[in-house]
Amino acid sequence: MTALHRGARRLGLDPRLIAIGVGGGLLSGLLGVGGGIVMVPLLVLWAGYGQRDAHAVSLGAIIPISIASVLTYGVAGEVHPWEAVALAAGSIGGARVGAVALARLDERRLKLVFGLFLGAVAILMLVRR
Amino acid sequence: MTGIALYAALAAFGVLTGAAAGLLGVGGGTLMVPFLTLAVGLSQHAAEATSLLVVLPTAVVASVVLHRRGIGDLPVALRFGAVGAVGGVAGALAALAIPGKALRLIFAVFLLVVSVRLVRDAIVSR
Repeated sequence: MTALHRGARRLGLDPRLIAIGVGGGLLSGLLGVGGGIVMVPLLVLWAGYGQRDAHAVSLGAIIPISIASVLTYGVAGEVHPWEAVALAAGSIGGARVGAVALARLDERRLKLVFGLFLGAVAILMLVRR
Repeated sequence: MTGIALYAALAAFGVLTGAAAGLLGVGGGTLMVPFLTLAVGLSQHAAEATSLLVVLPTAVVASVVLHRRGIGDLPVALRFGAVGAVGGVAGALAALAIPGKALRLIFAVFLLVVSVRLVRDAIVSR
C-alpha cells in the first residue's frame, strides 16, 4: 500500500480526492488561479462526481485552501482591506444567488456553462501570457 | 476611480463574481484579479492577496447555502481542502523556482481540452 493510500484511509477519504486536493492546491499556488478551476474538472472527469456535486465540493474545499493562502500571502501586507470589504459585501450576496442557481440548474446546462467558462479562461491565459 | 464611486463599482463587481463563484464552484479569483489590476490599478501581488480575502467569505456563504440544501458533502470537502491547502503553500513556494510561462501555457491547453470535452458532453447528452 502506498503512503497516499495509507494517508487517505486515515483521513477517511478517497485517494483520488487527496490527489485532487494536493494537485489543485499546487496548481493554484503555482499559477495564482483559484483551486476550483482545477478541482471541478478533475472531480467530474476523474473522481466521477456529478457536475453539481463537484461544484459544491469544490466550494467547500476552497474554504481551508483560501485560509492557508490568505495566511501565507496576506500576512505579507499586500492586502488592500477596504477594497476587499467592498468586493466581499457584493460577493456575499452574489454567492447566495449563484448557489441557489447551482441547486436548480440541470446537470447538462451546468456542464455547458462551466465548460464555456473554462474555455474563456484558457483563451484569456493564452492571450495575456 | 476614487472614493464612493470606486467602492460602489467594487461592490457591484463583487455581486457578479460572487454569483459566478457560487454557480461555477470556483472562488472567483480568476475574475477578480484581472479587474483589480486593470480597472482598479492594484499591482499583481496586491490584487491576488486582496482577491484571496474575498474568496474566503464567498466560498463560506455558497457552501452554507448548498449544505442546507443537501448538495455536495461539506465535511469531505473541508477535509480534502485541508490537504489541498498544504499543496497550495508548496505550489506558491515552487512558483518562485519554476519558469511560469511554460507552465501557464501547458495549463491553458489543459483547460481548453477540458472545456471542449465538457461542452461536447453537454451537447451530446441532450
